[in-house]
Amino acid sequence: MAEEAAPLLELEGVRAGYGAIEVLHGVDLALRPGSLLALLGPNGGGKSTAMRVCAGLHPLAGGELRYAGRKVNGVSAQDAARLGVCSIPEGRGIFPNLTVRENLWAATGTGARLADLEEKAYARFPVLGERRHQLAGSMSGGEQQMLALSRALGTDPAVLLLDELSMGLAPMIVTKMYETVAELVQGGLSVLVAEQFARAVLPIADTAALMLNGRVVAAGPPAEIEDRLSSDYLGG
Amino acid sequence: MSLLETKAITVRFGGNTAVDDVGLTVDEGRITGLIGPNGAGKTTMFNTITGLQKPASGQVLLDGDDITKLSPAKRARRGMARTFQRLELFLSLSVRDNVRVAGDILRSGTRKRFDLDEETDKVLERTGLTDIAGRDVSDIPIGRARVVEVARALMTSPRVLLLDEPASGQTERETEAFAGMLTGLAAEGLAVCLVEHDLPLVMRLCATIHVLDYGALIASGTPREIKESPEVIAAYIGTEEASHG
Amino acid sequence: MSTFLTYTILGLVLGSVYSIAASGLVLTYNTSGIFNFAHGAQAMFGTFLYWHVTERWGWPVWLALIVVVGLAGPAMGAALHAVIMRGLRGTADVTKIIVTVAVLLGTVYLAQWIWNPDEAHTVGMFFGAGAKITVGGVVVRYHEIVCLAAAVAIAAGLRVLFTRSRTGVVMRGSVDDPDLLRRNGHDPERAAMLSWALGSTLAVLAGVLIVPISGGGLDANALTLLVIDAFAAAMFGRLRSIPRTFAGAMVLGLAANYVLAYLPSAGTFTGNLRVSLPMIILFTVLVVLPQDRLRGAAVRTRERYRVPAVRAAAVWAAALVAAVYLYSLLLPESGVTTFALGMTFAIIALSLTVLTGYAGELNLAPLAFGAVATVVAFHFGVEGTGLAARMNIQGVLLAVVAAALVGGLVALPALRLRGLYLALATMAFGEFLSNMVLRDTTEHHLFGTTFTLFPDGSLVVPPLKVGPLDLRDGTTFLMTATVLFALIAVGLAALRNGGYGRRLAAMKDSPAASAMLGQNLVRLKLSVFMISAAIAGLGGVLMSSATGTVAQENFSFTGSLALLMLVVVAGIGYLSGALVGGLMAGVGSAVLVSTFGDLALANEGMATIYTALGHLVLVGTALVGMGVGRNPSGFVHDIIDGYRAMRDAKPVLYGAGALGAVLYVLALTDVIGTWTFALIALCAAMLLPVVGRSYLAERRTRPVPLELAGVDEPYTDELRARLDRELGLTAALEKGGARVTA
Repeated sequence: MAEEAAPLLELEGVRAGYGAIEVLHGVDLALRPGSLLALLGPNGGGKSTAMRVCAGLHPLAGGELRYAGRKVNGVSAQDAARLGVCSIPEGRGIFPNLTVRENLWAATGTGARLADLEEKAYARFPVLGERRHQLAGSMSGGEQQMLALSRALGTDPAVLLLDELSMGLAPMIVTKMYETVAELVQGGLSVLVAEQFARAVLPIADTAALMLNGRVVAAGPPAEIEDRLSSDYLGG
Repeated sequence: MSLLETKAITVRFGGNTAVDDVGLTVDEGRITGLIGPNGAGKTTMFNTITGLQKPASGQVLLDGDDITKLSPAKRARRGMARTFQRLELFLSLSVRDNVRVAGDILRSGTRKRFDLDEETDKVLERTGLTDIAGRDVSDIPIGRARVVEVARALMTSPRVLLLDEPASGQTERETEAFAGMLTGLAAEGLAVCLVEHDLPLVMRLCATIHVLDYGALIASGTPREIKESPEVIAAYIGTEEASHG
Repeated sequence: MSTFLTYTILGLVLGSVYSIAASGLVLTYNTSGIFNFAHGAQAMFGTFLYWHVTERWGWPVWLALIVVVGLAGPAMGAALHAVIMRGLRGTADVTKIIVTVAVLLGTVYLAQWIWNPDEAHTVGMFFGAGAKITVGGVVVRYHEIVCLAAAVAIAAGLRVLFTRSRTGVVMRGSVDDPDLLRRNGHDPERAAMLSWALGSTLAVLAGVLIVPISGGGLDANALTLLVIDAFAAAMFGRLRSIPRTFAGAMVLGLAANYVLAYLPSAGTFTGNLRVSLPMIILFTVLVVLPQDRLRGAAVRTRERYRVPAVRAAAVWAAALVAAVYLYSLLLPESGVTTFALGMTFAIIALSLTVLTGYAGELNLAPLAFGAVATVVAFHFGVEGTGLAARMNIQGVLLAVVAAALVGGLVALPALRLRGLYLALATMAFGEFLSNMVLRDTTEHHLFGTTFTLFPDGSLVVPPLKVGPLDLRDGTTFLMTATVLFALIAVGLAALRNGGYGRRLAAMKDSPAASAMLGQNLVRLKLSVFMISAAIAGLGGVLMSSATGTVAQENFSFTGSLALLMLVVVAGIGYLSGALVGGLMAGVGSAVLVSTFGDLALANEGMATIYTALGHLVLVGTALVGMGVGRNPSGFVHDIIDGYRAMRDAKPVLYGAGALGAVLYVLALTDVIGTWTFALIALCAAMLLPVVGRSYLAERRTRPVPLELAGVDEPYTDELRARLDRELGLTAALEKGGARVTA
């Protein structure tokens, strides 16, 4: 494990906040090619802000954001997307007032072809194919998350950023989603997952990092991090 | 009978059920915790109790009276007060006026006569805000801003106080002082309901804890019972089933 | 039967044009969140361009259409977005509305500058008015067929765009979630610019189509308002649905024509009803809209106002009365009259300070409430005839009460809704009043009495007489108006410092928190709207009496908008902002424009330059209004801050006082002219803070005052943080709290 390729996505000493309030106090993270990095920790720890920084949606107040070794501080989200960073926000990463097919169409902004996207999405999640002309907002939470994840299937990104994939979903569906993610990683995709349900993602993670109060307090193999979880989450 | 009670509350957004058949109780003289992972429906529950959200079905009872159809203002006048997760301070008023205006509002609809200045000073003193009373509210740290919201709520002399993540953004020392104040308020007979992510704090303060997950109530009990409940651990860290996926 | 068919076709034609205009409005509202009050003005400007190239330059129609509708239309929309609208993301509703109002006024002023309103401009029908076919006994002109075809084509085109093209899908997506659009690799600003370009094109097309079917005469004000009628159609679709907007437009067009066909045509009633029908329908739609869900404040506004203590306000009020008296001694009789008129506008402006500045709600037609009061005072308060006629105090009081009651009635249906809807309701009321009441010259018989609401289309409003106080005399009028302004201003300062004022501020800052403390929001909004309408009513009666003879034009919608815009530019949270804004609206532009007009007459060689300067003043104020998004607190705020910093520069203040006294004596003894005095005094007042600053900078005994920060030292992070803090730019602070926990 010692000799690894340079990270595809890297945060070094990143500070960020909202106005006068600093939320990230110097965060270090490195996502190695073809691996899955799980960013764990309770709410309010700064996970979502870190994910927004990675996606180019939140400005840095200090430190460096690097894609494949290149410093890209201040990159816009649309440019990040075109550079191959596919980011799926927490909650619903879909347009509720567009149909399933139109959602996939909107996802072609990075240069993918609609036909490819549809083919891959419907093959992986047949229910989406059945509902291609239904408004995305009228589907169940699980189906919406499938649609959001379909964007990663068809647009062939280099990096996938997943924020709270499990939010509001039943355990069965969460399991199914992470199976899909695991397959993508096997196919060579590099994935950064922010997740509060640690056990949902730890089994498929290559590395885990624990974030508390705007700092990464521990990083390493999933098994090591798992031991710390109970005390850090529930207060012993 | 509990002071505040919800019966079979269900809230739907479009096709999604955000809160599903939830019944809770909040008692006088103690702190009741409402916890659960993100998206579990805690804030939706608060909004339903305070009247900002209409439930699809179910009832909210205050002191035995059905208040499900009352406006937020009418509920407030019956003794319900709350703070907001996303702070809702009156940014063009000073800290003192933020607190005082609650008294202005209370006085405007009733014949009640009391000395507002004195009352305001008492509440500021009690919540430890006297030193920043004259400052612009947009100018103070977030931890103290949360205390201003509590002070403002206290100004209405509530019977039930609903607190939505009051400790987030507070420093350790601020949280410590805050916990002391809440314990004191409960000891005086106030019913406090606390939504909070700082679980160690919740475990320490609350007599009873309700746990929400996927919009459903999965556990209710003392901190000890909650801490040992497999459902709760599963809800927070993930299910065994998921871990085998 | 043939009557029915004829009017049905005419109704569908009018509906078609409405639908084209309204769909453009809905389009821009949805992609940028800005309700474009200037939509009608864009239509007007485009139509004037069309007239210019076809009539003046003699271009063929097809070329004119390509250039004006196909190129100038989109260019105008794209430019508006790039220069002004994209900067409005995240600002308060009030700011967005004011900026589009400023664009409306600026466009109208510009059009009147370029195309002299005293000359006739007519736009003919496509293929000429004689080109027609007869179907089943009904005559249909080619132009009308073009209107119908265009509406159908646009409806189909928009449908194809939104469902069959990626661009359209992306535009729909930007309504839901601009950030998600970015994550998908799109630029939401590009989608917004496209929608502004498309919306502007539809406005221009609607303008070119509607002018010939409504008489052919082209008038900047009238055409702007004609397209505003389409707002009602947009409300049918709740500003969201384009198909429903089309249906609403057809209802509107048909209703307007059936009114003409089937109601008795005697008198002015039917014609007036037809004109005001869209506004009546707009109002009705507002009444039946479901209530908004109460949410937390979505936007943290950047406006910050200092609240004066009652004592300070009283001192300033006394100083104002004294200064106005001293200044009036310098003025000729006509100058005193003009000044008095300006002061009455300042009183009306106070109604906006309490409503918008204190409570955060909008009234787009303050002059309409002045008109209500004027009509009531005219009918119930005039004693005597001819030169001996006087207004009695009972009449004025009754008028004020009437204005307050009407205000309550107008506001009530919209109070449950967002601020934008209250603004639209007041606009609808203003238009309705102006068309139905101020044009109502027919005799009515009611309860055995015969009366005419607005005889001869104008009212002669005599001056007020209370006991020994007779306002016939110009100086007495001016001083009475000034004292009234001062009294109301001090009263409002007391109000703002009291419990009621704090409750208003609380409601403005966070309706949700306010309600959760027990505040009945509808009741509070209603009360403040009625107070505001009462003040506008009082100011309106005085304004009418200062003018002498008033007609519909004195209470026009554009007049109301200009007043509102000037008060916002000056500082709508300040009582002094009302004074400055009101004086500018009542005196400033009138005096400047007429001065330049006189200069143009006097110096023939320079005539064009002076005339241009006169127009430039108007367009310039509108430009300042468009920039209000950058400085939403108004310029009075900056001046007050400047003077606040000078409290320690006593010698400078004393020096300035002495200079003022000398100048005044010179003016009083006619050594210098009144205008010279006014100009020097004004410049001195503006420059004083600068002088004070350099004086203080020399002493430098205390920390750098905020105004000086960064002036003669480099910006540091610490300094920047301090500036943000002191300027109240900590908007993101609260937001941060939420994000921390998200």
